Amino acid sequence: MPDDELLGTHRQELRRGTVVVACLLALREPGYGYGLLKTLESAGIASDGNTVYPLLRRLEERGLLESEWNTDDSRPRKFYRTTKAGKELATQLLADVSDLTKSLRSLNGRS
Amino acid sequence: MTWTDRYLAAVLRSIPASKRADVERELRSSITDAIDERVGAGEDPTSAERAVLEGLGDPAKLAAGYTGRPTYLISPELLPLWWRYLTRVLFVAVPLAAVVIGGLEFIGSGAQSWAIGAAINVAIQTTFWLTAFFVFLDWAAPARQARAEIVAAAGKWTLERLPKVSDGRITVGETAGEIVTVLITIGILVFAATLTTTTESGEAVPLLAPGFKTVWLPILVVTIAIRGIDHARAYLAGRWTRWLAVYHALVHTAFGLLLVTLALSGWIVNPAFGEAIGLPGLADGHGPVMLTLAVGTILATGWEVVRIFLRVRRRDDAAPRLDASTQSV
Repeated sequence: MPDDELLGTHRQELRRGTVVVACLLALREPGYGYGLLKTLESAGIASDGNTVYPLLRRLEERGLLESEWNTDDSRPRKFYRTTKAGKELATQLLADVSDLTKSLRSLNGRS
Repeated sequence: MTWTDRYLAAVLRSIPASKRADVERELRSSITDAIDERVGAGEDPTSAERAVLEGLGDPAKLAAGYTGRPTYLISPELLPLWWRYLTRVLFVAVPLAAVVIGGLEFIGSGAQSWAIGAAINVAIQTTFWLTAFFVFLDWAAPARQARAEIVAAAGKWTLERLPKVSDGRITVGETAGEIVTVLITIGILVFAATLTTTTESGEAVPLLAPGFKTVWLPILVVTIAIRGIDHARAYLAGRWTRWLAVYHALVHTAFGLLLVTLALSGWIVNPAFGEAIGLPGLADGHGPVMLTLAVGTILATGWEVVRIFLRVRRRDDAAPRLDASTQSV
């Protein structure tokens, strides 16, 4: 077994890009910051608020998400929803992820 | 004022004013959501708040995430460029400052040499302002266009940027250059030995001290000549061997130590000569001219020794690789 620190570093690098895909996919159903964090957690995608909260804004600035304040509840929340461009990007990235997995599996099987 | 208020204030400080209200409102609701869930699970509100905020981590990092602004001083994109300019500018500016200030002092015949201080000062100033300029390029919004153009112009990496690899073989031109340098140095020394000035009474006063001319000058000429012979031997052998380099370094260091000792003892120049031309400090071992000569000698000797050993090492590195490539062809 590699030591925990090494594993942690590489895991973090491996996951960095997948958080974007996960957010874009999850937010096809409108969601707000903390709720999204819970959704990702229950889907088995570990991520932190300090990564996800700023990420939502950056994705919105690039037109991949759109947002709206919901003031109906007792606590106002900013709801995000994946735009058409965001959905297209997510589909493409998802395909890339499965291609990568397939490639890695075949590399693994060859040895 | 709660911990949450203080945390939010710390995050918002570096966020543009136009976005501040919105970020605060959203982040506050996210933090409250997280605390509520912990409290709902039976946790004490105070420790829940602490756990949530500490989980979010350093507010400066969170703010950097929001603004997309880097947490480093100079971005990786600009760093190689910064280094390239810095080394180039220092390489020109520092010796130039030393020579100019040293020269001005020689003319003014100041009591103490500030040339080294001036060189250090120029090095610090250059480094500071050049770094400040690159930080400005990275951080200032108005400089964004300029930055993009500079990166585009200088950032394109081509094969020509690869450093040259030498196999350590010595060229004819290189050897000729070394031997010419040796001959010129000997020429200057011999010429200096013939220089005289005349006093008001019409007496001829030689530039060099009598003891220096008869004893030390011939020794210096011989060691310089040996240096030329070393270069010729290295050329004939095709490269600097380890032993030749060691021998060369010893001769060179001996020459350097001798010259420095003579300069600092004030034994090189005839004191009467300095007085005759109105520069009484000229021969003084602690005067600006002799100090500059001593420092210059130390630097030149050090550089010569390092240079030769670098060549030896480069040859050692290159040799097995070149052999391997010829075998595989």
